[in-house]
Amino acid sequence: MTAFATADDRSLLDLLLVAAERALDDADRDPADVDSVHVGNMAAEAFNRRSGLANALVGGLGMTGVTARRVENTSASGASAFQSAVAAVASGRSERALAVGGEKMSAADTATATEIISRITHDREYEQGVTLPSFGGLAAAAYLRETDADRRDLARVAVKNHANAYANECAQFNKRIDVGDVLASPSVASPLRLYDCCPTSDGAAAVVVEAGAAATDDPVTVAACESATGTHAVADRTDPLEIESVRVAGERAYDAAGFGADAIDLACIHDAFTILEWLEMEELGLAPEGRAWERTRDGLTDLDGELPVNPGGGLKARGHPLGATGISQVIELVWQLRGDLPDERAVDGASRGLAVNVAGFGNNAVCTLLEGDA
Amino acid sequence: MTELLECRDCGHRTFYEKHRCPECGGAEFDGVAAGTGELLSVTTVHVTPDGVREPNALGLAAFPGGANVVAQLDETLSIGDGVRLVGDRELRATDDGPLRGVRLAAVE
Ligand SMILES: [Zn+2]
Repeated sequence: MTAFATADDRSLLDLLLVAAERALDDADRDPADVDSVHVGNMAAEAFNRRSGLANALVGGLGMTGVTARRVENTSASGASAFQSAVAAVASGRSERALAVGGEKMSAADTATATEIISRITHDREYEQGVTLPSFGGLAAAAYLRETDADRRDLARVAVKNHANAYANECAQFNKRIDVGDVLASPSVASPLRLYDCCPTSDGAAAVVVEAGAAATDDPVTVAACESATGTHAVADRTDPLEIESVRVAGERAYDAAGFGADAIDLACIHDAFTILEWLEMEELGLAPEGRAWERTRDGLTDLDGELPVNPGGGLKARGHPLGATGISQVIELVWQLRGDLPDERAVDGASRGLAVNVAGFGNNAVCTLLEGDA
Repeated sequence: MTELLECRDCGHRTFYEKHRCPECGGAEFDGVAAGTGELLSVTTVHVTPDGVREPNALGLAAFPGGANVVAQLDETLSIGDGVRLVGDRELRATDDGPLRGVRLAAVE
């Protein structure tokens, strides 16, 4: 993957090419070894006035005769591209697949980016001026009211994820923050503040998926990659603290893998807003309902905790270049499971990891389970 | 539109128009009065898209029959308040003119 950044001078296509080359290099494969390419991207037309992304990428890699397509699933485009690659290999249609995801959001100013992203909503939501942080604010207000969690606990999610990103050379922010910084940051959608929200980012990420024995000594196995849609309009869910798509995708993934939440050693959760880390942990069975906040307060989700969550910094601090995020989560799990990382940011003895990438505020979710050799 | 949509086949209610009822697959809906709802959550949004008021106070309300609505607040309201849909209000400006719709207001 590329290091995620607030603004990267390179074009979207260049970012995708760099990420693809790094993945091929890591897998010890050439472009000619790959027979299918799956590109995750949400809005290149709107952000970058670029269309035909998949064909441009394979052209850049000197590939012809392969199957290539772009996969769009808003902020889960990356995981959906990965799922497409896994399905291609699992079905036998592809021997070796390359999944590449990327987004270059810096080309738009904040108002324009907010508008592009808010276009994913139902027309009745759009007319109200609803943005993604608006849903986060509504969910956070309800959660803080219904549980004993307080505003400082929510801030601890961001503090932890920033601490985890500190030594991640691919993260957008290498800066520790404290609870006071979060509480002093400007209000975005009450009770959420700026430091509760992920940034806009530029970046790309890529992985190689193949069947059977891999070229590398230390391959990681895809135990499951499953997805589910929820409602399009967020309020069509009767419980504002429920994200059905995440729950169903998780259940399907546990079923397919043959192990459950108890077996997970680390998790990459779609923390576009701090509140989402708690809601998704609860939907995935990684914390009891209404209790995820206690895990955060007690340090159980820290890097050296019982179940480290977002060891790479999450969307909050690694960054969130929409189409790249789902694949960057998979890469973080691979690095952790292979034991590639320096001690200061490694999770000890992890053998099973979970990633969940969410489209919109739960329109769609993709849950991936990976297993290492250890 | 101060109405909700009710599935003619199963009675499921929603604010969000769609071709098919998610409960039974029915394709016919009737407009029904929303009645009195309860405010489940509120947020004040300070970063809003062009054409949208700033700050934008929004609420999530539950109406009888299981229909929830996220809409702008027409006045200052708190969680637990009884609310109704009021319209039509100018909700956001666009290049093609204002988008109009309902807001949440206190029950009288
Ligand atoms: Zn029905």
